[in-house]
Amino acid sequence: MRRVPILVLALLALLTACSGQEKREDPAAPEAGTLRVLASSELGDMTPVLDRIEKDTGIKVRPTYMGTLDAVDLLAEGTADERYDALWLASNDYLRLRPDAARKVVSETPVMSSPVAIGVKASTVLELGWQPENVTWARVERAVRDGKLTYGMTDPARSNSGFATLVSVASALSGAQSALTDADVTKATPRLKEFFQGQRLTSGSSGWLATAYQRRGTVDALLNYESVLKGIPGLTVIRPRDGVVTADYPLSSLAATGAATREDVRRLTEALRSEPVQRLITDRTHRRPVVASVAPATGLDTTRRRELPFPGSRSVADGLLDSYENDLRRPSRTVYVLDTSGSMKGDRLARLKSALADLTGDFRDREEVTLMPFGSEVKSVRTHVVDPADPKSGLAAIRADTNALTANGDTAIYTSLEKAYDHLGTDRDTFTSIVLMTDGENTAGAEAKDFDAFYAGLGTDRRHIPVFPILFGDSDRSELEHIADLTGGRLFDARQGSLDGAFEEIRGYQ
Amino acid sequence: MLGSGRKLPRVRRIVGIVLAVLLIGGVVAAVAAGRDNGDKGTATKTVRAVIGSEKAEFFGDPDVVKALAAKGYTVRAETSGSWAMEGLDLKGYDLAFPSSQAPADELAAKYKARQPLPVPFYSPLVVVAHRGAAEVLAANGLAALEKHRGTLKMAAYLDAAAEDRTWQQLKGSEKYGELTGTLYLASTDPESSNSGALYLAAASYVAAGGKVAASDADVDRTAPLMRKLVTVQGAQQSSTDATFRDFVSGAGNPLVLVYESQVAALLAEQKGVDDLVVLYPDTTANSDHTVVPLTDEGRSLGELLSTDPELRELAVRHGFRPQGSTAEFTRATAAHADYLNQKLTGIRQAPVPTSEVLHDMARRARG
Repeated sequence: MRRVPILVLALLALLTACSGQEKREDPAAPEAGTLRVLASSELGDMTPVLDRIEKDTGIKVRPTYMGTLDAVDLLAEGTADERYDALWLASNDYLRLRPDAARKVVSETPVMSSPVAIGVKASTVLELGWQPENVTWARVERAVRDGKLTYGMTDPARSNSGFATLVSVASALSGAQSALTDADVTKATPRLKEFFQGQRLTSGSSGWLATAYQRRGTVDALLNYESVLKGIPGLTVIRPRDGVVTADYPLSSLAATGAATREDVRRLTEALRSEPVQRLITDRTHRRPVVASVAPATGLDTTRRRELPFPGSRSVADGLLDSYENDLRRPSRTVYVLDTSGSMKGDRLARLKSALADLTGDFRDREEVTLMPFGSEVKSVRTHVVDPADPKSGLAAIRADTNALTANGDTAIYTSLEKAYDHLGTDRDTFTSIVLMTDGENTAGAEAKDFDAFYAGLGTDRRHIPVFPILFGDSDRSELEHIADLTGGRLFDARQGSLDGAFEEIRGYQ
Repeated sequence: MLGSGRKLPRVRRIVGIVLAVLLIGGVVAAVAAGRDNGDKGTATKTVRAVIGSEKAEFFGDPDVVKALAAKGYTVRAETSGSWAMEGLDLKGYDLAFPSSQAPADELAAKYKARQPLPVPFYSPLVVVAHRGAAEVLAANGLAALEKHRGTLKMAAYLDAAAEDRTWQQLKGSEKYGELTGTLYLASTDPESSNSGALYLAAASYVAAGGKVAASDADVDRTAPLMRKLVTVQGAQQSSTDATFRDFVSGAGNPLVLVYESQVAALLAEQKGVDDLVVLYPDTTANSDHTVVPLTDEGRSLGELLSTDPELRELAVRHGFRPQGSTAEFTRATAAHADYLNQKLTGIRQAPVPTSEVLHDMARRARG
């Protein structure tokens, strides 16, 4: 079984910071009165709450957002020691399956909760004839099978909300009466495959998922935490009757920190659990309070749901993730449009090669990867598929092509992008996207306005293919931002972190 | 399977160097901060304690802080799972205050603390449920109810667990959508948290027909059932505070094992959970909140907590039963006698195995 690839971004950031290639201030440096918190990305919505706590207590929280799996890896490796003062994930369930990481936590205190839910467009709810209080996962599955429901969700390997959703769906559809086992997952595989046929959007973060959903307009529903869905207008938020997995956001202090730091973490916890702050949390973020004297915000239905158990062993949890990525989900299809113009010569090309070589450890079964290096024009178009029966040969071919890249010529960004769109038909059932890596401005071929016109002339299906540009070297931020905005993609910055890190982060969106 | 692949070796070397530098800085910072933290010429002695999470609110209570200050103490308390305390470096601490005898004995041996250890208060394990779930249990012979409290029949419950009985198989459950799946008590992780371990102590005692496990063979006999009680739950919380909060927030399991003190404290604050029912297992285990003195100050504090009338009174307010007399608890909880079995009538105490046996039992249950 191949592992679900996880790259420790911060580790690489550290590596870049040390290598002297990009000198900059270390954002992880300790600072008195500030708690450096490794946090789930959905906690971005807690800013007003944390501002208030800072005013009341003087404790400032500096979050670093990261997916659960990456964060747990970081803890297990010991890399989080000294770099973070506390941990604040949506849930510590996965952490507990990793004794090497769990040992790093001294105490944990849940501060609020939110269950997994499905947010469905009001018009779709009507069409389906659903009564929200009676909807089960099995009914959601039936609607998907009948072609009446499509949805988006985040990537379980990179986002806690995706992971919790996957566990909810697998538990419910397998008919497991208690914590999932390997046998349950195997048994449920055909049904799960069918269920995930309905997934039209994937994302590395809840924020981009909501944006993509609104832009696309044709997706019927989103699977995510109730708190996230409540923040998106027009969705009817349903907690399936047959059970959910709930995030309880434990603020956790770390063994590697000093007593004074842990005291600050304790004070922060106490502040978060005070009545006024609990009220603020539920009103502002749609999460549920954990103190009995504060009622959940209006609109949060308080009828009870079964709590589906989270897997109790790492082999089950990792096995489920692995089969999601390599078997259950629709495969991805990506064109990598890679700048190999003259300016890439030397160190930059070497870094591109090494980043791509590393990325080959990350491609999923059934994935189609096209490499499209360009200079004054597209130099070659090479397509490889990771065949589940023999994944190694496809990956070896990608590595061989990567090794053969050479740097010369001008920079024809738009002409090459047009070629990528031409290459990607919409005949196949895949998550299709384009990655654009360039280290400079457009100097040859079509201009920005030509590309805008080209894009406007594409059919709807092709306009749904997003471009994920990567800022690198001397590339022009506004130029790349425009491409991302136009096509519904997202800009990634390899100048702040590393090229490896940017490629890796984009995986969540493919 | 989940190693981070070929990237790591080269990264690790560099990280190692960076960490070494950071560590040196970190030690200096910790020493400086420690000095900051010390007493600043006030009359009180600062005592550092590591405590079980269920006592955090007690030590954080301004009245407790005041009462301790009146006796000359400022207590700086940090929480940790009772079993996890073994893994902490307790240098610089004056006492550890786990929530049961077994981890306390182990810590006492490790740090050569003199026996007997002060046990200022205790609290039995109870099960919290909503009325619907409690009524279904009663209708199926698994519990007896009166008003807001009842008794959970452990032998019947263990039989049901052994047969993997589900809520759907219990009559009356169809009225409640949330009552589906295997019937189980949600507990904490017995390897790291005390209440989870005490649950196994009580359950194995009942399963063995009233015999406390003392040997490998005893552990063997009940191991399959103990394993079942734990594995059906999947990933478990590591503190009773967390399981209780989940229950309060409306998430979660229909039957949750917590300390009576948590329920009593909630009731004392007049913050009832709607339609709460408290089920006392007919055979339960007590959590004996035991002080492990690491310094003389730690011992004096432990003794003060046991004997000072005001602190005993405050302990009751936080739901604990002070050692030695039931009068204070009964008097203070008079208003909540519908919820609490004040005199523990009809409730048997299961003796707790030695820490070595209990550890082994927990390890094999999670296995």
